Amino acid sequence: MKTLLIIAWRNIWRHPGRSGVLIAAIIVGLWAGVVTVGTMNGMLQQRVSYLIDSEVTHLQIHNPEFLTERLAADYIPDHDEITGWLSQDERVRSFSPRVMADGMLQSPVKTSGVRIRGIDVEQESATTTFHENMIEGEYLDAGVRNSVVMGKSLMDEHGLRIGNRIVLTFEDAQGELTSSAFNITGIFRSASTEYDDRNLLVRKSDLYGLIAETPVFHEIAVMLHNEDDATAVVDDLNEAFPEITARTWRQISPELSTLIGLGGYMLYIVTLIIMAALAFGILNTMLMALFERMREIGMLISIGMSRKGVFIMIMMESVLLTLTGTAGGFLLAWLSIGWLGRNGVNFEAFADGIAELGWDHIVYPVISTQEYVAILLVVMFVTLLASLYPAFKAIRINPLEAAKDT
Amino acid sequence: MAIVKTEKLSKIYNPDTVPVHALRDVTISFEEGEFTSVVGPSGSGKTTLLNMIGGLDKPTSGSVEIDGTTITGMSDRELIDFRLKHIGFVFQHYNLIPVFTALENVSFIMLLQKREKSEMENRAKSLLEQVGLSDRMDARPKQLSGGQQQRVAVARALASEPRFILADEPTANLDSTSAMNLLDIMEKMNREQNVTFIFSTHDQRVIDRARRVVYMVDGKIDRDEVQK
Ligand SMILES: Nc1ncnc2c1ncn2[C@@H]1O[C@H](COP(=O)(O)OP(=O)(O)O)[C@@H](O)[C@H]1O
Ligand SMILES: [Mg+2]
Repeated sequence: MKTLLIIAWRNIWRHPGRSGVLIAAIIVGLWAGVVTVGTMNGMLQQRVSYLIDSEVTHLQIHNPEFLTERLAADYIPDHDEITGWLSQDERVRSFSPRVMADGMLQSPVKTSGVRIRGIDVEQESATTTFHENMIEGEYLDAGVRNSVVMGKSLMDEHGLRIGNRIVLTFEDAQGELTSSAFNITGIFRSASTEYDDRNLLVRKSDLYGLIAETPVFHEIAVMLHNEDDATAVVDDLNEAFPEITARTWRQISPELSTLIGLGGYMLYIVTLIIMAALAFGILNTMLMALFERMREIGMLISIGMSRKGVFIMIMMESVLLTLTGTAGGFLLAWLSIGWLGRNGVNFEAFADGIAELGWDHIVYPVISTQEYVAILLVVMFVTLLASLYPAFKAIRINPLEAAKDT
Repeated sequence: MAIVKTEKLSKIYNPDTVPVHALRDVTISFEEGEFTSVVGPSGSGKTTLLNMIGGLDKPTSGSVEIDGTTITGMSDRELIDFRLKHIGFVFQHYNLIPVFTALENVSFIMLLQKREKSEMENRAKSLLEQVGLSDRMDARPKQLSGGQQQRVAVARALASEPRFILADEPTANLDSTSAMNLLDIMEKMNREQNVTFIFSTHDQRVIDRARRVVYMVDGKIDRDEVQK
């Protein structure tokens, strides 16, 4: 086996130019592939962490009815017991109760369907990073009655400015329609224009006053010290409070889980596309190597080398060839991702379009060891596949090739 | 008992298109310790006969027996194994492994036979000494002259301790000095170690060195003589 390895390795360097070109192609291909995959990973993970940190949080608690009906009447029962439990649990870092109402925003220009979120500024700021999205005015000005902050895009649609008044209409806990005027005190712009178009933030006390006699909450958003505890905490909550539903971010937002999964999927696609192109290079190089070695292989079979040995020899040669390229490509990729991971890839030129889709424009590529291994497996799989044809051709060589006159 | 025995060996190439009768009912045997040359004009069937005896090709009819074992009808895999264990080959075109040194080329066949490592190296070195290449063991084929390469090939053929060595036109690509030098080495091995050689040639000076000469014409044995 060791000898076959030596033959295979030396055979590669019989034509340093030919093998070198293929190795260089593999290096560049895998380098580009790994950096692309890393950048996509970075984008997806940043997107997911951003949504978790700014809004979704690690887990949320609702009245199960609210999840389907979204009625103001379906508020969380036993609110105080639950917040008491959360305050005492060591895994919980912070939590923020929210009052929610789906309603209409009317301005002289038009009417829009919106979700009104009543928050406690202090609790919300301790739990999420949403306040970082403020671009003008104050998060929720305590000095102004019925203060509201709006997304930039929604403001532009309605031609509104800070200091304008808007009228919000929604159902109260009794199912009656109620309207109230709010004063715009701030503007936010999150990473998602779609979110900005549909969400308004008000103080919780201003909102639940309009919905019910006593304070009611429809959502408690919870951040943990460690995201890995989410499932355990959710299980404990559901056990302790059967009348509510606690869900992890993966359950709340399956599309976020899907995004993360998408990253893994893209890895295989990108690697397969690159390797499919390289497969032709491997096939071509191995066939050329084979055709000029017909006599030599005929001799090996004549003197008694098994056809299995010939097969292994040819396969080893292409595997060593790609492994060399892969090692180079991985090294380059590892260095570039290390650098880009610190400095970020700037998509400034596309910032507007990207924000529309809800993505950051500075991406820090990341790639895990498992992903390197997965890429390596795809590379090996394609290499073995591409070398099968030359290897099968090799084992069918007639020993008489060795004795041919010319 | 004969080492090699053929029985009514015939070979027809392209039987369905343009049939060529390369061998016609050849019955011949070779004894242990022979130093025999198969001679004849080009196209007379020397290569075909040697390929049949070496188990490299299958006859159309007839059979080949080596040391009492009929190799005709063996599977491809059995034949490869049989060749490895019992037959040594020297080719006209030297056919060494170009990426291996002389020493590695000689050791390789013993590696295929799965021999002891230490034994392999010692034996390869001593064989290269016997063929006069003790100072070129680490040279690759490209760095050796044709005569030197063919001596490595003889050392390799001998390394596997075969029952006999088949050499199809071993001197055809050599100048006459190298050719005679190679013949000296082969003859010495035959004399001192009783190694059996069967080689083909159409070079009169090579023919003169053989003890037995088998003349072929048109795929048939024309004469079979013992010289001197
Ligand atoms: N593979 C082959 N296909 C067809 N004809 C062949 C083949 N090999 C040899 N022959 C023919 O068989 C005859 C004997 O050839 P060969 O054994 O090579 O003779 P020699 O070695 O004496 O020159 C020749 O007529 C040759 O053309
Ligand atoms: Mg011939």
